[in-house]
Amino acid sequence: MQERHINNGSGIEGQSGHPALCVLPEIEKEDEILETMWTLKEDCKLTLQQLLKTCAIPGCEDVINELAEKGWIEAKDESVEFLTRGEKRARELVRRHRLSLRLFYDLFALDGAEAEACKFEHILSPEVTDSVCTLLGHPPNSPDGKPIPRGECCTIFRHEMKPLVVPLADLSPGENAKIVFITPESHSRLDRLSAMGLVPGSMVKLHQKRPSYVIQLGETMIAVDKNITKEIFVKKM
Amino acid sequence: MHAHNKGSRDRYHDSNLYKVLLIGNPNVGKSALFGLLTGKYVTVSNYPGTTVEVTYGNAILNKIKTLVIDTPGVNSLIPMSEDEKVTRDMLLSDRAGIVVQVADTKNLRRGLLITLQLAEMEVPFVLDLNMDDEAKSRGIVIDQEKLSAFIGIDVVKTVAIHKSGIDKLLKGIQRPRLSSLSVRYDDAIEEGAKKISVLLPEANISHRSLALMILAGDESLKSWLHANVQDDVIENIENIRQSVQSKFNNSLGYLINNKRLKTADEILVQVMTRHEGGRQSTVSSYLGFWSMHPVYGLPILLAVLYLVYQFVGVLGAGTSVNFLEKTVFGEYLNPWSAKIIDFILPVPFFHELLVGEYGLITMALTYAIAIVLPIVGFFFIAFGILEDSGYLPRLAVMVNKVFKVIGLNGKAVLPMVLGLGCDTMATLTTRILETRKERILVTLLLALGVPCSAQLGVILGLISGLSGLATVIWLAVVLLVMLLVGYIASKIIPGEPSDFILELPPIRMPQMTNIVIKTLARVEWYMKEAVPLFVLGTLILFIGHKVGLLEYIQKLVDPIVVGFLGLPSKAAEAFVIGFLRRDYGAAGLFVMAKQGLLDPTQIEVSLVVITLFVPCIANFFVMVKERGMTIALYMTAFIFPFAFVVGGALNWILRTMKVAL
Repeated sequence: MQERHINNGSGIEGQSGHPALCVLPEIEKEDEILETMWTLKEDCKLTLQQLLKTCAIPGCEDVINELAEKGWIEAKDESVEFLTRGEKRARELVRRHRLSLRLFYDLFALDGAEAEACKFEHILSPEVTDSVCTLLGHPPNSPDGKPIPRGECCTIFRHEMKPLVVPLADLSPGENAKIVFITPESHSRLDRLSAMGLVPGSMVKLHQKRPSYVIQLGETMIAVDKNITKEIFVKKM
Repeated sequence: MHAHNKGSRDRYHDSNLYKVLLIGNPNVGKSALFGLLTGKYVTVSNYPGTTVEVTYGNAILNKIKTLVIDTPGVNSLIPMSEDEKVTRDMLLSDRAGIVVQVADTKNLRRGLLITLQLAEMEVPFVLDLNMDDEAKSRGIVIDQEKLSAFIGIDVVKTVAIHKSGIDKLLKGIQRPRLSSLSVRYDDAIEEGAKKISVLLPEANISHRSLALMILAGDESLKSWLHANVQDDVIENIENIRQSVQSKFNNSLGYLINNKRLKTADEILVQVMTRHEGGRQSTVSSYLGFWSMHPVYGLPILLAVLYLVYQFVGVLGAGTSVNFLEKTVFGEYLNPWSAKIIDFILPVPFFHELLVGEYGLITMALTYAIAIVLPIVGFFFIAFGILEDSGYLPRLAVMVNKVFKVIGLNGKAVLPMVLGLGCDTMATLTTRILETRKERILVTLLLALGVPCSAQLGVILGLISGLSGLATVIWLAVVLLVMLLVGYIASKIIPGEPSDFILELPPIRMPQMTNIVIKTLARVEWYMKEAVPLFVLGTLILFIGHKVGLLEYIQKLVDPIVVGFLGLPSKAAEAFVIGFLRRDYGAAGLFVMAKQGLLDPTQIEVSLVVITLFVPCIANFFVMVKERGMTIALYMTAFIFPFAFVVGGALNWILRTMKVAL
């Protein structure tokens, strides 16, 4: 059994590749296979061979056959594909996993976030999942940069619960906040922001919104476009 | 850029001269320090991007003849604009120099980002914490010894503008060291860097640092690679880069920067202490706040414009010009010169050449010294104060939205406002803009509609004699034309607009000594550049007049000047010399108006034409240098007829609607 790592030192950026395994009870093996399939599919590498290679739980083949028998997936010769309900289950699993990861990384700054996320992905109810999603401001990506499958709550924006993590653009002038994640439109924008010192973990203060957004970062004042402040997600301090 | 730097590199590379290279974030005081070390003045202002070119100066440091090199500021040694590339290329090409990293003490976090990169490059260097006074007043104290121990190099504290700490810096320069700092990146990045390193050619900076730059997607390194390694190696390198990138969802550049910032933060926690209560709200911080306030910002902008108008237009172009032109030149210098010349050289030809209608003294020198000089002098003072106060970047915050309409962002306000000083210099400053499209757009707008100080002053002097409505119409026409042309050009010129991300320096009290030195340096530059052209222009007019060419041209363009623009025939002269310098043309109009040859509508129309008229020769050359001959020619070919079309249309509207000015 190997533990899944987000191997970096800084905690936010992450390595792609395939999810190794969570430590799991028997019943959750199915979930793990479905999740692995989802990740492989994201990378357009979903074949039976690849799935067997990536999958590190004991008795992997049996679980795959079981899933096929139960009508979650379809496995023929070299190929393996989701069936509709299997895909739905996998999407929800991945969503719960990546949301949990965000929760532990961004809000609690836990070191063992990965292991915790593994436990959470199996137990979160749909309601709780949506609440977590709302709480985090409907993040589009997990800390390792992978997309979080959208849930209902993301489309029908819920107002009952105030999100803890909001776009910088939504702060009121004078408020202090800590950058939690940035979802830039382009790589070059992220490079530029990071060269100015704007990265997750940095403390910022929104100075003003009009006529242009001005933020303060340490002793530096930076004027930026509004659309950039919409991509910087922060936790109010 | 490469070709441009080559000459200077060769010149300095072979000599066994000691070299000191000043490197650091924008607006940290590199130029101020350069001035202190060399005694040579380079423009020092309070906004990022004042220096866009490398400047060399000689100095005797520690009794050794040293070449000091000032560089444009960088936020990262992976360049994102042309001026940043200049600095990185200096490091890449010029070894055997001592690097002094200048950092803003209160913004040490961002300084450390550069420190880490210099450490990676394995360049021996010294860290200078400048502006220590500002950090102290904000309650920030850096433990110099501890920081020095962390980085493994000498760390000194200075306040360049107060000349303090320089002796310690000089001591530090004697023992630059390699930094012991090293950042360990993600395994995949480290592995990729190793693989790329072995493929790289001999270089002045470490292979690891170059490999990391390449991994971070540094496009600007391509030309260097092509010059130094085989194409198949480049392909190999690119494959390695892509395979490393494919392992991450975020860009490698960001991951690398992020890791560096984390390291910087770890160091800061150890060396920086912050005293509470150090952050008092000072008058200057309030001023900075109000100057970009959504409500008060506009009245402040108007107040600033009004003050500049009063100072330059009324006091400079009115009172001083009147005194110099009427009294000094009109009553004394010109009649005296006439008498002296008639006495020494009683030949009619020389009389006409020197003190006649197109005389070198009565026209060239009178225009240059009596009319334009006081105006630019006053303007440079006002402009210097604005520059040093830190107001200009705040102006960018105010106008960002308007600039978006013309495919630019607020950052472009810096070259545009600098154009009010001198369009030639401003065209160079377009280097701070990030995309080619923006640089072309700003170059065009500068050449088309931004009057330089000399021209603006003459225009203000002329227009202040008319009603306020005339000023409003002139301003509205010029601004509308710029908006319209900018809007259309932004649709035609291919490319993307860039993000508005601009650092705002603190509002500071301008230092009188810097203002005086800066103004004198600029006036000297004006005299050197403009006066010879004024003399040349006058000579052309004189000869043209003598051989009858001037009359011929006047007749030729009469249908346009008289028929279309409704101006007197003589106005053609102003446009002819306007080809050399727009301000010279404006000065010609100024004199005509004073002689009562122009009615208010004619003044208004001629001012609009001369404002939009072709860029001066110096500006044209810089356009060629920066944008290439084709683009420069296209722009001029567009601007020349366009200025007349706008003038003609304005003439027609004013006359048809019988607007009283």
